[in-house]
Amino acid sequence: MLRLIFTRLALFVPTLFAASVILFIVINVVPGSAARSALGVDATPQAIMRFEALNGLDRPLAVQYTEWLGKALRGDLGTSFQNRVAVAPDILKRLPVTLELAVLAFLIANLIALPLGAIAAFRHRKAADVIISALATILGAIPNFWLATLFVLLFSLTWPILPAGGYTPFFENPTRNIVQMILPSLSLGLVSSSLLLRIMRTTMLEVLNSAYIRTAHAKGAPESVVLRRHALRNALIPFFTVGAVEFGFLFGGVVVIEDIFRLPGIGSLVLVGIINRDYPVLLGASLVITVVVLSANMIVDTIAMMLDPRHTRGGA
Amino acid sequence: MSTTEKNSTGAMAVSRRHFLSGTAAAAMIAATAGVMVDGFSSAAFAAPKRGGILKAAFSADPAGFDPVRGPSGMSHVVIEQVYSTLMALDADAKPYPELAESFQVSDDGLQYTFKLRAGVTFHNGDELTAEDVKFSFDRLRAKDSGYSYTAQVETIDTVDVVDKLTVRFKLTKRTGPFLVYMAFPGSSIVPKKLVESGYDLNAKPVGSGPFKFVSYEPRSVIKFDRNEKYFQEGKPYFDAMEYRIIPDITALTNAVASGEVNFSNEIPPKDWASMKTNAELKSQTLEGSRYYWLIPNNTTKPLDNPKVRQAIGLAIDRSALVAGAFFGQATAIRGGVIPEWNWGYADIKFFGEKGEVAKAKALLAEAGFPNGFETSMTMASSFPPMMGMAPIIQANLAAIGIKAKINSMEIPRYWDEIWGPSKFDMTAMYWLSPLADPDDFVTNNYKRGMAVNVQKSGSAELDAILDEAKQAPSQDARKAIYKKMQEMSLEEMGIVPLVNGHLLIAHSNKLQGYVPMRTGFLKTLKDAWFEG
Repeated sequence: MLRLIFTRLALFVPTLFAASVILFIVINVVPGSAARSALGVDATPQAIMRFEALNGLDRPLAVQYTEWLGKALRGDLGTSFQNRVAVAPDILKRLPVTLELAVLAFLIANLIALPLGAIAAFRHRKAADVIISALATILGAIPNFWLATLFVLLFSLTWPILPAGGYTPFFENPTRNIVQMILPSLSLGLVSSSLLLRIMRTTMLEVLNSAYIRTAHAKGAPESVVLRRHALRNALIPFFTVGAVEFGFLFGGVVVIEDIFRLPGIGSLVLVGIINRDYPVLLGASLVITVVVLSANMIVDTIAMMLDPRHTRGGA
Repeated sequence: MSTTEKNSTGAMAVSRRHFLSGTAAAAMIAATAGVMVDGFSSAAFAAPKRGGILKAAFSADPAGFDPVRGPSGMSHVVIEQVYSTLMALDADAKPYPELAESFQVSDDGLQYTFKLRAGVTFHNGDELTAEDVKFSFDRLRAKDSGYSYTAQVETIDTVDVVDKLTVRFKLTKRTGPFLVYMAFPGSSIVPKKLVESGYDLNAKPVGSGPFKFVSYEPRSVIKFDRNEKYFQEGKPYFDAMEYRIIPDITALTNAVASGEVNFSNEIPPKDWASMKTNAELKSQTLEGSRYYWLIPNNTTKPLDNPKVRQAIGLAIDRSALVAGAFFGQATAIRGGVIPEWNWGYADIKFFGEKGEVAKAKALLAEAGFPNGFETSMTMASSFPPMMGMAPIIQANLAAIGIKAKINSMEIPRYWDEIWGPSKFDMTAMYWLSPLADPDDFVTNNYKRGMAVNVQKSGSAELDAILDEAKQAPSQDARKAIYKKMQEMSLEEMGIVPLVNGHLLIAHSNKLQGYVPMRTGFLKTLKDAWFEG
């Protein structure tokens, strides 16, 4: 068990390194001019050359990467081309916003997916199953930014009951924070729940049809014990693994949602980074997202292992 | 003294506009007659009130707040609140003395002497003197200063301190827009002592303007506090200001519509109608200096032929552009690019409001293309009006036989692959002139070698007349030359002027006394206040 966790930890560093190389290359290969984006329509060739020299963009990519990596290892992610602000502190300040949004959305997705998925499986091919499956398909087909815009239109402009956006730190005003987070986390969570719901339903169905459930029934275990101890626990393992991947998607999905609701998180940073070709910002923000997604995967894998009786009983 | 009068007339123009609004004028009469009408006077008209926080929404992030560095428009709207300039532009873009109490110009136009207001202090308490003025301009003019607007200061030969409150500029040649340049945010006066001590104005600006800079949260908000010691007594009226940065334009309009912010001058044309019907908001529109033009590449065949470019210019139905791409919130440009409200306007009706197909076809035939030709039009997808105009222009051109394929490209790529290397058949661009001097409208587009002249048009004659117009001794003389210049520009048709997009402003209806500026700047916010 511990050895497994250590193996995952050891893989973490090379994965991150590989991700940073890929990110660096992709960001630099995407066509577009950082200098012109920063300097605007009347930028002279001289001004562009000065900008590129100042920011080291005139050097080979390998040199730029090595320098960036060296600084990054010391916690310095450079300064934004656009507003000359240091990237690392900016990201740190924004991380809690994005984490809060992603965690809330993930909670919502799970709160919908777990019970509904389980019910659909129990009531296989009955009315409840059909309704839930249809709902999952509809939710899965809706883009989250569309849902977000619809929510703003309905609940902020037509019936002004929730704010159209903005952010207040939780510790400054918890109520206001939660109120402001309802629409963003719902738009993300509802859409994310679709895949989780379907996974929950299928794995639950598989488990319910498996030999050990039949055995459990046969030996006369009460229905509730069969469901809780045998079915649900086993169905949760694949559910959690998919959940980790979904959390990654969710974390990526915050980009547009943060922009729509004006949440000062990392996602909105990625967006302005792309729009302005602000390489230090884009790279820094993408890397932090990678770290979060990798960590989430690792944690969820560990939980899945703990749920799996083959691991908890000592054998690897 | 004559210039102090200019100042007061500037203020008069502002207040008169306000008084003329119906009930306000009536209340004014009542107030002056010493009659108080119960429940009417205080609500309908009242003297400016102190208090409140102006929360304005902007889509862009600033790039620093040191006047010598801030290259972006967003930097400038912060700089103009924090610092002061020798001159300032009124709502109609006419310069009036701000830090200067008065000024004198020598007969040859080569010497400007500014007498400064006494007792003006920077936000750190230092007194503002002629030394600071000299220091500020020497800083802009220094080699490797990195200043983006060197063209504005290149004719300054020396800046001399005459006495504590008098400063004299000597110019190498007559510079028509000099007083306008003195009003540009880049020309802000910075505190010499503080800067020399190594203080970084770029992060935390210190000036003598109506608002003190408090903080800047990148991509989120810029906060200001009222400058209690502002030299215009009683002003500004707001206790504080917040400039909220909301990059997504839909989110921005939502923030305005829901009352989360109480001011924006970046309302997109498509949302204008909904802003106008919002009872909580007051919407204001005026023609500014945000003009759009089509750019045929003057170096590729057959667009290198002026007749072909004229045919394109004539074929375009500008009224359709105004209606289709701007939802009515723009003015068709019928001749030169200098707008009608500006003193440099020349009443030339070269283009019709609608497309002139027969005339265009005839020109095309004259140029040797009676059946038209195939070409392409590459637009930056990040500019919605541009994408809105493209299919209309395409249809207009099709009517005279020109088949133009529309390409679109995301803006950073567009800068790099289309704009920068001038690799296009046709493209389009817009620009908001921050100076609103005729020179600023035309030189960038028409002079050879300018960064914006990506169509590579121009001639020695056009260059010469642009210089002549800039250096002419009086406004009347300049006006006459700009008329000739604009006629020449239409003959050459290096670019095809399209429309002038209006400035669209929506703000809380509690905001009073706000007069929008033609330049799109927000200097007049210091004259506005909240009612109730």
